Amino acid sequence: MRYQEYLKDQLPVIITHALSMLFCVIFLSAVNVQASITLILLIIWILVTASYINVRFFSRKRHFAELLLQLERLDKKYLISEVMEYPILTEDKIYYGLLKAANKSMIEQVSESKRERKEYKEYIEQWIHDVKTPISAMKLLCENNKSDTTRKLMAELTKVSHYTDQALYYARSENIEKDYLIREVSLSEMIHAAVAENKQHLLQNHISVEVNNCDDTVYTDEKWIGFILNQLIANAVKYSKKEPKITFEANSKQGQIVLGIGDNGVGISGTDLPRIFEKGFTGENGRTGKSSTGIGLFLCKRLCEKLGIGIAVTSESGQGTQVELYFPKGDFVKVQE
Amino acid sequence: MYQIMIIEDDAVIQEELSVLLKSNGYEVILPKDFFNIISEIQNNPPHLLLLDINLPVQNGFKICSGIRTFSNVPIIFVTSRNTDMDELNSIMLGGDDFITKPYNTPILLARIASLLKRTYASEHAEVLKYGGVTLHLENSKIEYQGELAELTKNELKIMVYLFRNAGKIVPRADLVEYLWDSQLYVDDNALSVNITRIREKLKSIGVTDFIRTKHRQGYLI
Repeated sequence: MRYQEYLKDQLPVIITHALSMLFCVIFLSAVNVQASITLILLIIWILVTASYINVRFFSRKRHFAELLLQLERLDKKYLISEVMEYPILTEDKIYYGLLKAANKSMIEQVSESKRERKEYKEYIEQWIHDVKTPISAMKLLCENNKSDTTRKLMAELTKVSHYTDQALYYARSENIEKDYLIREVSLSEMIHAAVAENKQHLLQNHISVEVNNCDDTVYTDEKWIGFILNQLIANAVKYSKKEPKITFEANSKQGQIVLGIGDNGVGISGTDLPRIFEKGFTGENGRTGKSSTGIGLFLCKRLCEKLGIGIAVTSESGQGTQVELYFPKGDFVKVQE
Repeated sequence: MYQIMIIEDDAVIQEELSVLLKSNGYEVILPKDFFNIISEIQNNPPHLLLLDINLPVQNGFKICSGIRTFSNVPIIFVTSRNTDMDELNSIMLGGDDFITKPYNTPILLARIASLLKRTYASEHAEVLKYGGVTLHLENSKIEYQGELAELTKNELKIMVYLFRNAGKIVPRADLVEYLWDSQLYVDDNALSVNITRIREKLKSIGVTDFIRTKHRQGYLI
């Protein structure tokens, strides 16, 4: 609260007093009171009024400063009306009442939305579990009746099950820390499982796969890494070029195990590269008819953050993309909350 | 022959799993109803169980702990529930493995095979024979009338698949898929190269025309 602004608010008071003084002076001079006495009266009047205005300014200023400080200290700012002291002034009381009523209705709204969101999320999760049964059945049907048609179907089914997984992880990604199991897992096993899962898809697109030096084990959650690898393989397939190839290679450097997943696909342009982990960002490749959703890499990044794994992407347009996952080494890994 | 019981309430999956397992040389038992599963297992114990979690009458966890009171038969949970709590639960209650739907059949088959091998020490010798040619799996060699030739990993896997399907035409695509399932990422061209090398090796030990090419269909031994 600035003094000037406060004075502006007090203008009616000041004008009232000034007018009263004016009438007083006219009246006193009409009844022949000495000018010096009138002057003394005026000075006292002005002093008293001025000191009232000033004292009020400082007390209001202190009051609001305290409130603002209280707000600052609050974690959930919308709860200010719950913790602030009951005001003394009538006007303040009315504002206090307004604040409380508005807050109450807002909190009701928020909890209603939260409940709806939770219900929807649960429905999505349930739906995904339900849809997995027919997908499994179809996969088995394809497996038992191998032909060129079922091979193609199988590749499409891989996509469907990948999308459902994506939806599941997205639905869960907010409080995913409730659902992890850290243990020692072999990099090569995870890679081979991911390749096996995308086998039809990779074969149909004539993509060769190379796995080098992946004998290390890391401490992490197998399922999440499986999802991330699936996503990266799906991307490599989607953005492949002539004589496509995916390479998996692990290296140990600076107390970390670095798993590199490289392809020789279309690559990512320099302007797009810094934004690829943003939710909904599709970039140049997305616009050139590859139907990107901008969810895959966003989810990978989020899962990596929760797992305490670093992820970095280097790429050159037209030359391919290299994704690196940094697994902390050691016998014990703390998962970030 | 190993007997595998499939406890699964989805009819299509149950049937297709049966077909898959039968075509991979297992015998399949299906429970008659979901009320007497435990007594059925007691009366006719299978070698391995595939167990779903969401089941009518009793869920898979309960059945599993019920079985564990009298038997150590290997149990693989096969389910669409894939939270770590489910996995932890199934292991705690005595399950031996946990596979989530939609699963990869090669992975499922591999897990079944390895569990069976671990539980019932292999009775089969690690050799395959056909038409006078013997394939030694343990040292990756092929033998004909005392003559031996050494095979590479890829070549061995190709031969294993051909021997297992002896007398049948093996489509190239099937062979490539089998190799991928064995973690050998060989493409169509590399497969041709490997077959040529195998033929040369066979020739060196005196076998000719062992692997025949069926035009547009695949290979046949």
